[in-house]
Amino acid sequence: MRERVISIGKSNPLVGILSQPEADSISNPTIAVILLNSGVIHRVGSCRLSVTLARALVEQAGLITLRFDFSGIGDSEARRSTLTAAESAVDEVLEVMDYLAREKQIKQFVLYGLCSGAYASYRTAVKDPRVIGIAQIDGYCYLSWKSYGYYYVPRLFAFARWTSVLKRALGLKKPASGVAISGVEQRFFEVPQFPDFPPKSEVEAGLAQLAKRGLQLFSVFCRSDHYNYEGQFRDCFSAADFGNNHKLVYLTQASHILAEPEDQALVVNGMAQWAKAIANG
Amino acid sequence: MDAFYFGPSASYLFGAYHPPQNGNRREGIVLCNPFGQEYMRAHRSLRRLAINLAAQGYAVLRFDYRGTGDSAGTLESVTAQDWQDDISIAVQELMDVAAVTKVSLLGLRVGALLAAQVAAKNPKISRLVMWDPVVSGQAYIDEISREIATFQSRANFIAAEGTLHFNGFSMPVAFKNSLATLDINTVDNLAKVAVAQIVSHENSSFAQLRQGLSSLSRFEYQLAPAPHDWNYVDHVGGILWPQPIVAAIETYFSSTQS
Repeated sequence: MRERVISIGKSNPLVGILSQPEADSISNPTIAVILLNSGVIHRVGSCRLSVTLARALVEQAGLITLRFDFSGIGDSEARRSTLTAAESAVDEVLEVMDYLAREKQIKQFVLYGLCSGAYASYRTAVKDPRVIGIAQIDGYCYLSWKSYGYYYVPRLFAFARWTSVLKRALGLKKPASGVAISGVEQRFFEVPQFPDFPPKSEVEAGLAQLAKRGLQLFSVFCRSDHYNYEGQFRDCFSAADFGNNHKLVYLTQASHILAEPEDQALVVNGMAQWAKAIANG
Repeated sequence: MDAFYFGPSASYLFGAYHPPQNGNRREGIVLCNPFGQEYMRAHRSLRRLAINLAAQGYAVLRFDYRGTGDSAGTLESVTAQDWQDDISIAVQELMDVAAVTKVSLLGLRVGALLAAQVAAKNPKISRLVMWDPVVSGQAYIDEISREIATFQSRANFIAAEGTLHFNGFSMPVAFKNSLATLDINTVDNLAKVAVAQIVSHENSSFAQLRQGLSSLSRFEYQLAPAPHDWNYVDHVGGILWPQPIVAAIETYFSSTQS
């Protein structure tokens, strides 16, 4: 494997790491995987997951990968723009795809992202048919009737919950702020500002379009208040029928930043095998 | 900024070079990262520090130790001595790239503990600046072990063979054992460099270190109250921006010369 630092764009370039298999190990020289930032974390990814995944994709799937920083994150300077962060993220992924097409003769792309990176991978795929696969951790999904049931029914019978509701109603208890939890004043602490989710119907239509296009989808969901049973994605987006082109992994004990080594390994190996199958057609 | 790989091909290191702006002091600064999740939370602060120190005319190099960030490999079989070697490789790289003859080391937390060892041995180092230093490797390991015991989970645990798993990062046994032998209080030969201890808060280990270093003729101590909970991790990977201490370090470099 060879790794190289690259800069994309003339002014305020995007900084990234290109990882390439040795010439005799490339499985498909026309496909590359691009790994996107999660929130404000720089391109090595939460718990170094993006580095581990990029190298596994090179070594196990024989694919070229590129992990880079969006402008204003990590080592990429902020760019002056009137676009929202969500809009500029898509533009910058397209810029990186054009770079790889020009410099490396890449024709098709697989995008990977966790959380906001997952949202950007979806939005880019909708915009550009060169994207043939997306691998997401905690991407877009919405509560279904069943997930409301899973969420609220146990709470109906929880005495502590009712006590808490009563205390709040009486003004005896206030919700804990991020400042109180972390002990760090807000001005010294940066967390990503996520825009509201688009309407569910919009995402469902977009996913249906991708499914029709034959896009390969690898979804990982970590159990949370927002995603609380394995089939929630399919119930939520029933109009998007990916058929055999969708692999879903539901992690019942993993945190959103995938800090658990066992779950990290499972996701990395799963994605590498999935990408290998794409590379081999 | 110019980003590149450097060092031996088997353990190549990611580097980000910030050339001097607004004049040239003919002096370099190598930034030495902390460990694990602390490195993730500190990336933005160290990058901003590098940019601002370069704006003062310093040639600045940030880099990732082997087994971390974008550098080669994993931490398996890596030791704290390897990281000290990486610091020396980074020092030489900066001297070559920037054509400087003097280099300061600026270390945060474990980075300060390692930088102190290198400063005592490497004749090219002219200054050592320690930001919230981990004074004792063993005390740091004990601190992490206590946190693991308090917040045990599938992310925080000690593996049967002794590897510490904490907040999404692992500290294998070889690294742990080698780190445990290091202590800034027992480093000889620091008198040959200018030393600054800049801290965001006070505690007994900082006080003991300050007392030990106060006999040095070129020692400076500064308290700049700022957040310092580097190992806190939230569910979205929030990062820390302790502006008061970053500003204090910038002021130190703007008002002093090695």
